[in-house]
Amino acid sequence: MKRLILFFAFTTFGFSQNYYLYVAAESDDTVSLIKFDGKSATELERIPVGIKFAETEGPHGLTVDPSGDYWYLSLAHGNPYGTLTKFSTKTNTEIATTELGYFPATMEISSLTGLLYCVNFKLYGTMTPSSVSVVDPQTMTEITKIPTGVMPHGSRISPDGRFQYSVAMMSGELYEVDTVSLEVNRVLQLDNNHHMNHQGMDHQGMHHSTTQPTWVIPHPSDSKVYIAGNSSNEIIEVDTDSWQIINRFKTGKGPYNIDITSDGKKLVTTLKGEGKTEIKNLKTGKTKIVDNTTKVSHGVVISPDNKYAFVTVEGIGGEPGVLDVIDIGKAKLVSSVNIGKQAGGIAFWKLEQ
Amino acid sequence: MRTILTLSTLLLSFFLTNLHSQDLFVKSDLQGLKLKIGETFEPETYAENLKGERLSCPYTFYYNKQGVFSRAKAISYDRNKGEIKANAPGKHEVVAVCLGLGDQRLSRTFDVEVGYAMVKEITITVPKDNYVSTYLDLSFNVVDEQGFERDGQKLNLTSSSEILSIDNTNNVKAVASGTAKLTAELDGVSATVEIKVSENPLSKIEITSNQEVARTGDVIRYTATGFDSSGNEIKNLPFEYTFYGKSFDVSESAAGTILNDGRFVAEEPGNYSISATLGDITSSKPLRVVARDIKREVYRVGNTVVPDKRTSDFWIFEGVDGRDYGVTGTHSADGTAFFWDVTDPTNMKKIDSIKVDARTVNDVKVSQDGTIAIISREGASDRKNGIFILDVTNPYDVQVLSEYTKNLNGGVHNLFIDNNHAYVLGTGERYYILNIEDPTNPVEVGMFEVGKEGQNIHDVWIEDGIAYSSNWRDGVYLVDVGNGIAGGSPSNPVPFSNYTYASGANHAAFPFKSKSTGTFYVILCDEIFPEGVNLTEPEITAGFCHFVDFTDLDNPVEVAKFEVPGTGSHNLWVDEDVLYVAMYGGGVRVVDISGELVGDLFRQDREIGYTMTGSPNGFIKNATMSWGAQVYKGYVFYSDMYSGLGVAKVSEDKPDTSNENQYIERTGIPD
Repeated sequence: MKRLILFFAFTTFGFSQNYYLYVAAESDDTVSLIKFDGKSATELERIPVGIKFAETEGPHGLTVDPSGDYWYLSLAHGNPYGTLTKFSTKTNTEIATTELGYFPATMEISSLTGLLYCVNFKLYGTMTPSSVSVVDPQTMTEITKIPTGVMPHGSRISPDGRFQYSVAMMSGELYEVDTVSLEVNRVLQLDNNHHMNHQGMDHQGMHHSTTQPTWVIPHPSDSKVYIAGNSSNEIIEVDTDSWQIINRFKTGKGPYNIDITSDGKKLVTTLKGEGKTEIKNLKTGKTKIVDNTTKVSHGVVISPDNKYAFVTVEGIGGEPGVLDVIDIGKAKLVSSVNIGKQAGGIAFWKLEQ
Repeated sequence: MRTILTLSTLLLSFFLTNLHSQDLFVKSDLQGLKLKIGETFEPETYAENLKGERLSCPYTFYYNKQGVFSRAKAISYDRNKGEIKANAPGKHEVVAVCLGLGDQRLSRTFDVEVGYAMVKEITITVPKDNYVSTYLDLSFNVVDEQGFERDGQKLNLTSSSEILSIDNTNNVKAVASGTAKLTAELDGVSATVEIKVSENPLSKIEITSNQEVARTGDVIRYTATGFDSSGNEIKNLPFEYTFYGKSFDVSESAAGTILNDGRFVAEEPGNYSISATLGDITSSKPLRVVARDIKREVYRVGNTVVPDKRTSDFWIFEGVDGRDYGVTGTHSADGTAFFWDVTDPTNMKKIDSIKVDARTVNDVKVSQDGTIAIISREGASDRKNGIFILDVTNPYDVQVLSEYTKNLNGGVHNLFIDNNHAYVLGTGERYYILNIEDPTNPVEVGMFEVGKEGQNIHDVWIEDGIAYSSNWRDGVYLVDVGNGIAGGSPSNPVPFSNYTYASGANHAAFPFKSKSTGTFYVILCDEIFPEGVNLTEPEITAGFCHFVDFTDLDNPVEVAKFEVPGTGSHNLWVDEDVLYVAMYGGGVRVVDISGELVGDLFRQDREIGYTMTGSPNGFIKNATMSWGAQVYKGYVFYSDMYSGLGVAKVSEDKPDTSNENQYIERTGIPD
């Protein structure tokens, strides 16, 4: 029924649609509000989000509240801890801020608990296990930190809201957190395909992952998650029922972020090392590659109608960051817009007729 | 197991779909709950609809919040047991969250009161000598059985004798001589001390000073001596020093700072009277304060505009060819550092540049012999960051000698070069010490960190083998890296002193030994952006420079400050008892810091002069955003984020006032 309604809405009438997104520029301490009208993307507003002008705080992760009323931004650097800030989508002004851990990065809100789960990436410094911060976004209170692996990244929630998934980049693990009990449910070692629980382990002298996973995304309907192996140049398919790796798909260089269409058919992956984006048909296994505008492809989010993938590209040095819009069906770059330097975090806000 | 959980969730969701449109309210027996310290409680929380029907929460959890910034720990929640536990006394907010009832997120905050434990002990501290007609300097400390101190609770004070007078706010005054027992009571626990009040032995007080006419900012030392009726001197009396004054300028108020030891410094020219008092005996001494009269013309000699990028730090140095050169970094730009020939400060020339994979080259430093420069790197596309070591023996043709990134991938914000070693901030947590005798192959030989959870470092400066690191909330650390004071070396850095202050905004530090007094100070400057970041307009800044007397390394004392109203501090330099400090939007300020330093130096009119460093052709036109200052061969070089590298000169001339008010006179008053 849902599919029929979507089909009716998106194809029969053929109304023009406007897509709205928030995109973070990590080296400019700005977030851009982008509108894409089906033909071209434009920057509607550039919002300053830094705290200290002379220090770059590094806006990294973004997510929009399920209601669409608020957006949330992680600022990676502080003194020393990073912060999470809540903004109004109506005014794009700050509402509240709370301090999290070292380099808070990717986040998402569970539809089941209403809580926000943000990984503390701890990208820099000594390689020690970090955590997932759990925040009540209504009061902007950090409720707890759940210890996970080394450099956790890619916080995404299962469709039922019950589990939060993240990958630990340097310890090469997939973490499943119970969003209700707020405890680690399961851990899967991705490097050598065997179960390995690092809970309570002394991480001194631990191995450095050969996979270096940077992202995980749950399938919208199947019991599977897909993981970007940034160093091993592969997408890893994990069956969440058996908690086993069932496939490893080779990719281009440096797969970094992933999104999946809501029908579960296509997987879109940024290839950071190549400045390209890969579109994979999960049924046929065929892939198509789209060149991004500049180098260092970073984030990706797919529109709810599954038509477009919005990809951030960092650029190098003084180059502007770029938001590329890719027509998924045609595997073609259809528009791009310059924003602040080092475009990274991205979140879809709304689709309007 | 997971399948069962998923099925349960789905079934629950299906069952609860018709709850979506209902208004549900969280109820809990947390309402009105009172606990004792250490007590646990298993709350029962549920939802209720408008009909009063009760719905069980599939999942509940609780947390203790304090304001909106972070969870509090006064009440903890054990998710496994489902219990909350009272850890600290007071009234606390506990949020109960009810999950799983449809797509609503239900929560409510309840006040839970945790009672104080019984008072265990009250301690009263009394001065040794107490005299008639004086208020007693008493202090009270109340500790309960759980070890918590109770602050702000009014004690019941009583005296066994009328020789002590106690007012409504518990000020205790000795009104007659004799002995009294003072009792402090709270919750049935009391403490009593015996207080002996003596007749004021004084017949007269003589007050002397080292100066009778002073300038604003001069610290005058007053000494009070008490004598009995026989003319004998009485030692160790607790005199109270106060002052009264009348400003020469009727639009100003006489103001100053007076310390318990009798030191006084005036902020305004005028006639003052300094008094020493004990009980009802007092003596005063007049003081005439005149203007400091140190204002000098600070004029701009030249500047080079970097119009398309924000400029960051800079360094001026003498090249191996004897000419003078400068290097500047860039901020939030494209990884460029510029090199300048500044031999003729009126005609500085850009002579070379180097561009690395970065967005910010925040810091640039040059070795003492003028052969090696190091530039810092932030925002590298591969996130390795680190530093670049450059050969600047020919600043017209700068060459990269090496790139070094080990432990520095978090971005290098600041660094220093001293005696073949580079001190480089890594990850904002610590600094690494690299031996750069072979600049093509730097070798890490040491590291220093504060060693506290949440440590964060912003800057490091080396002088005479001592590293002064600014560590935000952990303040300044003095570390022996070759001085010998604590047996340290570059490979064995040894901390030996530390000073922190309340704002936690310590951003830069500069040591100086006063030429005029010999006192050893470290000046600590804040960095504060109270209103965050503005992309198109000049930034609002706050904060000031703290003067800390490090004469006693075990007990450094903050004695003075330099604060310019309306603007904040950044980087600084001291030369010959003169401070040159970049005050961001307030320009570069030149401050007389000679003599003893006490109080508010700006209000004492110790500022010699200033220059606003913006440019009509700058990154933001006409806006000033001074970054730092360096005194070099009689000139004051500076960098400004919006205008680039500039140079000023402090003249021997007093400021020219001939043009004052010209614009006001020329502006007609509209009808």
